[in-house]
Amino acid sequence: MASELILLASYEAKNQLQLSLKKAFELLESKLRPPFPLTISNPEEYMHLNQAILYGVLCEPHKAKVHMKHLHAIVTDGYELFLSLLVKIVNELYLKLVDSAKNQLIWVTKEMVDVSAIGIDGLLVCLVRQVVGADFSEGNLWLCSELANLFLCKWDCLLEEEPLVMTSALYAYLRLLADHCRLSVDVKLDALKQLEIKFCVKLLREQFHLCLKIGRDLIRLLQDLVHVPEFKAIWKDLVLNPGKFRATGFLDISQLYRTRTSGCYFLLRITPEMETQLRFLLSCVKFGSQKRYQAWFAKKFLLRPGGEAVVVDIVRFICCSHHPSNEVIQSDIIPRWAVIGWLLTCCRKSYFEAVAKLALFYDWLFFDERVDNVMNIEPAMLLMVYSMPKYMKLTHSLLEFLLLLVDNYDLDRKSIIVRGVSSAFGTLVQKGVVCSMDVLTCCDVLSPFLRERLQNFLLGSNVGAPKDLQPVGVPADPMPLLSLPDMSIMVTPAASQKRKLQARGEMD
Amino acid sequence: MAEESQAMISLKDIVPAAQNNVNTMFILLDKSRIKTDGQNKSCLTLVADQTAAVHLQLWGDQCDAFEPGDILRLQNGIFSHQRNKWVLRTGKRGMIEKVGEFTMAFVETPNMSEIKWIPDPNNSKKYVQESVISPHSRIFPPIP
Repeated sequence: MASELILLASYEAKNQLQLSLKKAFELLESKLRPPFPLTISNPEEYMHLNQAILYGVLCEPHKAKVHMKHLHAIVTDGYELFLSLLVKIVNELYLKLVDSAKNQLIWVTKEMVDVSAIGIDGLLVCLVRQVVGADFSEGNLWLCSELANLFLCKWDCLLEEEPLVMTSALYAYLRLLADHCRLSVDVKLDALKQLEIKFCVKLLREQFHLCLKIGRDLIRLLQDLVHVPEFKAIWKDLVLNPGKFRATGFLDISQLYRTRTSGCYFLLRITPEMETQLRFLLSCVKFGSQKRYQAWFAKKFLLRPGGEAVVVDIVRFICCSHHPSNEVIQSDIIPRWAVIGWLLTCCRKSYFEAVAKLALFYDWLFFDERVDNVMNIEPAMLLMVYSMPKYMKLTHSLLEFLLLLVDNYDLDRKSIIVRGVSSAFGTLVQKGVVCSMDVLTCCDVLSPFLRERLQNFLLGSNVGAPKDLQPVGVPADPMPLLSLPDMSIMVTPAASQKRKLQARGEMD
Repeated sequence: MAEESQAMISLKDIVPAAQNNVNTMFILLDKSRIKTDGQNKSCLTLVADQTAAVHLQLWGDQCDAFEPGDILRLQNGIFSHQRNKWVLRTGKRGMIEKVGEFTMAFVETPNMSEIKWIPDPNNSKKYVQESVISPHSRIFPPIP
């Protein structure tokens, strides 16, 4: 007897995908044992056989090897159809799968890696997306650990066949690791952390030329892990000894700064369900009618323990992976900046708020109109402009944060950041996102001190001039400064690493 | 009965009737506290689609099965008078199930439960709208 594929809640409608697989299985069950009939008359029959075998693999663990032999015998399309069914199952049904089917899913995925099935990259990415950030439930940590094992076990094969899947896995695991390292000293979690560290460090140390393809967000993620000894060592080499990575042409992390991270990486830390809901919110919900949707989204994804850790990933997703059409931009649909403004208010801890703001401004710091997209920086600008005057504090804290980033993010490469932010402002005006910077520099409600700093920055007079890093208590400022964000996130370890080493006399 | 083939209707088109003939889909917006009366549980909810909203009465274990944000499909439901209120419910022959979450647009006005329905002067078996009591639910007011 085959077990069930999924568990439905009471009053939950039957699932069509599950029904179609089960139907095919029941129809062909008698043919799913040797000797296998090897002639297939038409594409429809081939489809049904693929469905039946997949259902068998997932629901009859004791016969899985027989089903797999059958599949190998009949396959004529490089497993493309079989993989597309697996991807559908992961995206639509993963959370509902019974535990034994989840085990089988990992097993069959490994089998598909071994045969270099067409579409294996897509399947692995879908599975990685099912791992929820900062979710310490047993099932979630199990999946996280199974996939880390898979990437390590199938290392050579994946590197050769699907190298970009490895960089996707690196992005995902660096991000997951940051959440795993921030919390708890659980023994079980410790084993997982070691596995994740092993995978990430191995890829960074051995295949850095691939890791470079991730682009600037690699630095953002590594920054969050500098307190982990293995990553501290990587930082040290990145700054002092880039040649150690044996990546041709890699001389300095500024090369990473200059590479925009592709939007597909940000999807890796958003579950398909979150993506569906966010895209619906940003393309179908009218501005003013979003309250209930926001409450439902927050209840499901943000208010669970540790939930606010995903805000940074959502901000990156909205800025870089969800670019609405002109039609939507000109309509009464809720704009991206408003959703981001709401997300920032969902951060209860200042650390999460600070990393979310860094995510919001990250492309500003290295903006180059030749490679960067104005859509990535537009939400931060509009959020600052439209929050005035009602949410003045938000505009104030965002602008202050941006100016602090310019001064502190990477002291050794400050000129790059000054150029990036200037060029971001320039492009925003040039592309008509705002008519001119007067919206900020001439805005009466904005603190005169901040206006002046912005004005100075825009005039370029401040480049290279000494700065007050902590402008607290400047008498000219009538507005009390908001609490400063966690400074650690505002500084790349690049500069501090060097300084610390200099102090200890460890520099060559 | 050819109930299966009955077309889905929009909430703005539902009319009180003594028949289990409402086939529709909506999103659950709000839910009152579950009331227990002896062995019976009940719970009033606000549901809506792109055309209108209405109060839906849940019974028994239906009350715990659904949460705000759930998209529900009602088959063979009934829209009728219950304790002075116009409510939609499954009745004995109807069925309700969850078919999704979140991704459905809705309006909160008109609310079909906040309309004064009177028997049609030309056909006593039918009801017609006399007037609007409130543009939106007075039990579940819109979030400002």
